[in-house]
Amino acid sequence: MKTVEYTIKDALGIHARPAGLLVKEAGKFASKIMIASPKKEVDAKRIMGVMSLGVKCGDTVKITIEGEDEEAAAAAMQAFLESNL
Amino acid sequence: MFGKLKNLFGGDTGITIAAPTAGTVVALESVPDPTFAQGILGPGIAIEPAEGRIVAPADGTVDVMFETGHAVSMTTADGAELLIHVGIDTVQLEGKHYKACCKAGQQVKKGDVLIEFDPAAIKAEGYQIVTPILVCNPDAFTVEPAAGGTVAAGDALLTLKKK
Repeated sequence: MKTVEYTIKDALGIHARPAGLLVKEAGKFASKIMIASPKKEVDAKRIMGVMSLGVKCGDTVKITIEGEDEEAAAAAMQAFLESNL
Repeated sequence: MFGKLKNLFGGDTGITIAAPTAGTVVALESVPDPTFAQGILGPGIAIEPAEGRIVAPADGTVDVMFETGHAVSMTTADGAELLIHVGIDTVQLEGKHYKACCKAGQQVKKGDVLIEFDPAAIKAEGYQIVTPILVCNPDAFTVEPAAGGTVAAGDALLTLKKK
Protein backbone atom coordinates (compact mmCIF):
# COMPACT_ATOMS: atom_id res chain seq x y z
CA MET A 1 0.00 0.00 0.00
CA LYS A 2 1.17 3.51 -0.84
CA THR A 3 -0.09 6.82 0.47
CA VAL A 4 0.23 10.33 -0.90
CA GLU A 5 -0.55 13.39 1.19
CA TYR A 6 -0.96 16.80 -0.32
CA THR A 7 -2.18 20.19 0.88
CA ILE A 8 -4.34 21.92 -1.72
CA LYS A 9 -2.90 25.21 -2.97
CA ASP A 10 -5.48 26.05 -5.66
CA ALA A 11 -7.68 28.86 -4.32
CA LEU A 12 -10.83 27.18 -5.65
CA GLY A 13 -10.17 23.73 -4.18
CA ILE A 14 -11.35 20.54 -5.91
CA HIS A 15 -14.35 21.78 -7.91
CA ALA A 16 -15.90 20.02 -10.90
CA ARG A 17 -13.07 20.28 -13.44
CA PRO A 18 -10.21 19.12 -11.19
CA ALA A 19 -12.47 16.37 -9.82
CA GLY A 20 -12.99 15.09 -13.37
CA LEU A 21 -9.28 15.25 -14.18
CA LEU A 22 -8.32 13.53 -10.91
CA VAL A 23 -10.76 10.69 -11.59
CA LYS A 24 -9.43 10.35 -15.13
CA GLU A 25 -5.86 10.08 -13.80
CA ALA A 26 -6.85 7.54 -11.13
CA GLY A 27 -8.74 5.54 -13.75
CA LYS A 28 -5.52 4.85 -15.64
CA PHE A 29 -4.43 2.42 -12.93
CA ALA A 30 -5.66 -0.99 -11.88
CA SER A 31 -4.97 -0.33 -8.19
CA LYS A 32 -7.74 0.55 -5.78
CA ILE A 33 -7.35 4.29 -5.12
CA MET A 34 -9.14 6.09 -2.30
CA ILE A 35 -9.00 9.80 -1.49
CA ALA A 36 -9.74 11.25 1.92
CA SER A 37 -10.52 14.81 2.92
CA PRO A 38 -10.52 15.88 6.56
CA LYS A 39 -14.21 14.80 6.57
CA LYS A 40 -14.46 11.47 4.73
CA GLU A 41 -12.88 8.98 2.33
CA VAL A 42 -14.21 8.11 -1.14
CA ASP A 43 -13.30 6.12 -4.24
CA ALA A 44 -10.95 8.33 -6.30
CA LYS A 45 -12.32 6.75 -9.50
CA ARG A 46 -15.86 8.09 -8.98
CA ILE A 47 -16.55 11.72 -9.95
CA MET A 48 -19.54 12.08 -7.66
CA GLY A 49 -17.57 10.91 -4.66
CA VAL A 50 -14.59 13.16 -5.30
CA MET A 51 -16.84 16.21 -5.80
CA SER A 52 -18.72 15.40 -2.61
CA LEU A 53 -15.51 15.74 -0.57
CA GLY A 54 -15.82 19.51 -0.96
CA VAL A 55 -12.05 19.92 -0.67
CA LYS A 56 -10.99 23.55 -0.20
CA CYS A 57 -7.74 25.43 -0.46
CA GLY A 58 -5.57 24.59 2.55
CA ASP A 59 -7.19 21.17 3.13
CA THR A 60 -4.86 18.19 3.19
CA VAL A 61 -6.00 15.18 1.18
CA LYS A 62 -4.68 11.69 1.68
CA ILE A 63 -4.67 9.26 -1.22
CA THR A 64 -4.35 5.56 -0.44
CA ILE A 65 -3.35 3.21 -3.25
CA GLU A 66 -3.38 -0.56 -3.15
CA GLY A 67 -2.67 -2.91 -6.03
CA GLU A 68 -0.13 -4.26 -8.45
CA ASP A 69 0.64 -0.88 -10.04
CA GLU A 70 0.57 1.11 -6.79
CA GLU A 71 4.12 2.46 -7.22
CA ALA A 72 3.35 4.02 -10.61
CA ALA A 73 -0.09 5.17 -9.46
CA ALA A 74 1.34 6.91 -6.38
CA ALA A 75 3.91 8.75 -8.51
CA ALA A 76 1.25 9.76 -11.02
CA MET A 77 -1.21 10.98 -8.37
CA GLN A 78 1.56 12.97 -6.65
CA ALA A 79 2.50 14.59 -9.96
CA PHE A 80 -1.15 15.29 -10.79
CA LEU A 81 -1.77 17.03 -7.47
CA GLU A 82 1.37 19.12 -7.73
CA SER A 83 0.65 20.32 -11.24
CA ASN A 84 -3.13 20.83 -10.96
CA LEU A 85 -4.01 21.65 -7.36
CA MET B 1 -47.53 -7.14 -19.88
CA PHE B 2 -44.06 -7.67 -21.24
CA GLY B 3 -43.93 -3.97 -22.03
CA LYS B 4 -44.77 -3.13 -18.46
CA LEU B 5 -42.13 -5.49 -17.16
CA LYS B 6 -39.55 -4.01 -19.47
CA ASN B 7 -40.44 -0.50 -18.33
CA LEU B 8 -40.10 -1.64 -14.76
CA PHE B 9 -36.51 -2.64 -15.41
CA GLY B 10 -35.66 0.41 -17.48
CA GLY B 11 -35.92 -1.67 -20.64
CA ASP B 12 -36.81 -0.53 -24.13
CA THR B 13 -38.15 2.91 -23.33
CA GLY B 14 -35.26 3.80 -21.04
CA ILE B 15 -35.10 6.43 -18.35
CA THR B 16 -35.91 10.01 -19.26
CA ILE B 17 -33.86 12.88 -17.89
CA ALA B 18 -35.71 16.17 -18.32
CA ALA B 19 -34.34 19.55 -19.28
CA PRO B 20 -33.43 21.40 -16.06
CA THR B 21 -33.94 24.78 -17.75
CA ALA B 22 -35.55 26.26 -20.85
CA GLY B 23 -33.25 27.08 -23.71
CA THR B 24 -31.43 25.84 -26.78
CA VAL B 25 -29.88 22.37 -26.82
CA VAL B 26 -26.14 22.34 -27.57
CA ALA B 27 -24.01 19.26 -28.32
CA LEU B 28 -21.53 18.60 -25.52
CA GLU B 29 -18.70 18.60 -28.07
CA SER B 30 -19.54 22.25 -28.85
CA VAL B 31 -19.13 23.43 -25.25
CA PRO B 32 -16.07 25.71 -25.13
CA ASP B 33 -14.31 23.86 -22.31
CA PRO B 34 -12.37 20.66 -23.00
CA THR B 35 -13.30 19.20 -19.61
CA PHE B 36 -16.91 19.06 -20.79
CA ALA B 37 -16.39 18.73 -24.54
CA GLN B 38 -14.11 15.69 -24.12
CA GLY B 39 -16.51 14.06 -21.70
CA ILE B 40 -14.03 14.01 -18.80
CA LEU B 41 -16.87 14.56 -16.33
CA GLY B 42 -19.14 12.18 -18.24
CA PRO B 43 -21.33 12.01 -21.34
CA GLY B 44 -24.35 14.27 -21.71
CA ILE B 45 -25.63 17.37 -23.42
CA ALA B 46 -25.76 21.12 -22.80
CA ILE B 47 -28.40 23.85 -22.83
CA GLU B 48 -27.91 27.55 -23.51
CA PRO B 49 -30.37 28.74 -20.85
CA ALA B 50 -33.17 31.14 -21.74
CA GLU B 51 -34.10 31.64 -18.10
CA GLY B 52 -32.35 32.02 -14.77
CA ARG B 53 -33.20 28.85 -12.95
CA ILE B 54 -32.31 25.18 -12.79
CA VAL B 55 -34.91 22.63 -11.76
CA ALA B 56 -34.47 18.96 -10.89
CA PRO B 57 -34.38 16.92 -14.13
CA ALA B 58 -35.76 13.85 -12.33
CA ASP B 59 -36.83 12.68 -8.89
CA GLY B 60 -33.85 11.94 -6.67
CA THR B 61 -31.47 13.09 -3.97
CA VAL B 62 -29.11 16.08 -4.08
CA ASP B 63 -25.51 14.88 -3.61
CA VAL B 64 -23.51 18.09 -3.83
CA MET B 65 -24.80 21.64 -3.89
CA PHE B 66 -21.62 23.59 -4.58
CA GLU B 67 -21.21 26.48 -2.13
CA THR B 68 -20.63 28.74 -5.11
CA GLY B 69 -24.10 27.89 -6.44
CA HIS B 70 -22.77 27.31 -9.95
CA ALA B 71 -23.20 23.54 -10.02
CA VAL B 72 -25.29 20.82 -8.45
CA SER B 73 -25.11 17.07 -8.57
CA MET B 74 -27.82 14.56 -7.75
CA THR B 75 -28.55 10.85 -7.90
CA THR B 76 -31.86 10.06 -9.56
CA ALA B 77 -34.28 7.49 -8.18
CA ASP B 78 -33.04 5.23 -11.02
CA GLY B 79 -29.41 5.54 -9.89
CA ALA B 80 -28.10 7.96 -12.50
CA GLU B 81 -25.51 10.39 -11.12
CA LEU B 82 -26.12 13.77 -12.75
CA LEU B 83 -24.05 16.93 -12.74
CA ILE B 84 -25.54 20.24 -13.85
CA HIS B 85 -22.86 22.90 -14.28
CA VAL B 86 -24.23 26.40 -14.94
CA GLY B 87 -21.82 28.25 -17.17
CA ILE B 88 -18.17 27.86 -18.08
CA ASP B 89 -15.46 28.67 -15.50
CA THR B 90 -18.17 30.19 -13.33
CA VAL B 91 -16.58 28.71 -10.21
CA GLN B 92 -14.50 31.91 -10.47
CA LEU B 93 -17.53 34.02 -9.58
CA GLU B 94 -17.42 32.45 -6.10
CA GLY B 95 -21.18 32.54 -5.68
CA LYS B 96 -21.89 35.95 -7.15
CA HIS B 97 -25.11 35.99 -9.26
CA TYR B 98 -26.04 32.47 -8.08
CA LYS B 99 -28.41 31.30 -5.38
CA ALA B 100 -28.36 27.70 -4.17
CA CYS B 101 -31.95 26.57 -3.57
CA CYS B 102 -31.25 23.07 -2.26
CA LYS B 103 -28.74 21.30 -0.05
CA ALA B 104 -26.87 18.01 0.01
CA GLY B 105 -29.00 15.09 1.10
CA GLN B 106 -32.28 16.76 0.17
CA GLN B 107 -34.91 14.66 -1.61
CA VAL B 108 -36.20 16.46 -4.70
CA LYS B 109 -38.99 15.92 -7.20
CA LYS B 110 -38.66 16.59 -10.92
CA GLY B 111 -39.27 20.32 -11.39
CA ASP B 112 -38.15 21.45 -7.91
CA VAL B 113 -35.92 24.53 -8.15
CA LEU B 114 -32.25 23.72 -7.42
CA ILE B 115 -30.44 26.91 -8.47
CA GLU B 116 -31.43 30.47 -9.37
CA PHE B 117 -29.01 32.65 -11.28
CA ASP B 118 -28.81 35.94 -13.14
CA PRO B 119 -27.88 35.16 -16.77
CA ALA B 120 -27.43 38.81 -17.80
CA ALA B 121 -25.14 39.62 -14.87
CA ILE B 122 -23.04 36.47 -15.42
CA LYS B 123 -22.64 37.29 -19.12
CA ALA B 124 -21.81 40.90 -18.27
CA GLU B 125 -18.86 39.61 -16.21
CA GLY B 126 -17.58 37.86 -19.33
CA TYR B 127 -18.70 34.28 -18.63
CA GLN B 128 -20.73 31.99 -20.85
CA ILE B 129 -23.85 30.47 -19.29
CA VAL B 130 -24.05 27.34 -21.45
CA THR B 131 -24.97 24.59 -19.00
CA PRO B 132 -23.72 21.00 -19.41
CA ILE B 133 -25.94 18.23 -18.00
CA LEU B 134 -23.78 15.16 -17.50
CA VAL B 135 -24.06 11.56 -16.40
CA CYS B 136 -21.13 10.91 -14.05
CA ASN B 137 -21.60 7.12 -13.87
CA PRO B 138 -21.56 6.08 -17.53
CA ASP B 139 -20.37 2.65 -16.42
CA ALA B 140 -24.00 2.01 -15.43
CA PHE B 141 -25.92 3.67 -18.29
CA THR B 142 -25.86 4.39 -21.99
CA VAL B 143 -26.71 8.03 -22.68
CA GLU B 144 -28.55 9.30 -25.78
CA PRO B 145 -29.89 12.78 -26.57
CA ALA B 146 -33.71 12.93 -26.60
CA ALA B 147 -34.03 16.51 -27.82
CA GLY B 148 -32.57 19.12 -30.14
CA GLY B 149 -33.45 22.73 -30.89
CA THR B 150 -35.28 24.51 -28.12
CA VAL B 151 -36.68 22.91 -24.98
CA ALA B 152 -38.83 23.98 -22.07
CA ALA B 153 -37.83 22.97 -18.55
CA GLY B 154 -39.29 19.52 -17.97
CA ASP B 155 -39.15 18.39 -21.61
CA ALA B 156 -37.34 15.11 -22.31
CA LEU B 157 -33.62 15.84 -22.76
CA LEU B 158 -31.67 12.59 -22.39
CA THR B 159 -32.60 8.94 -22.58
CA LEU B 160 -30.63 6.59 -20.34
CA LYS B 161 -30.60 2.82 -20.53
CA LYS B 162 -29.18 0.59 -17.87
CA LYS B 163 -26.20 -1.40 -19.09
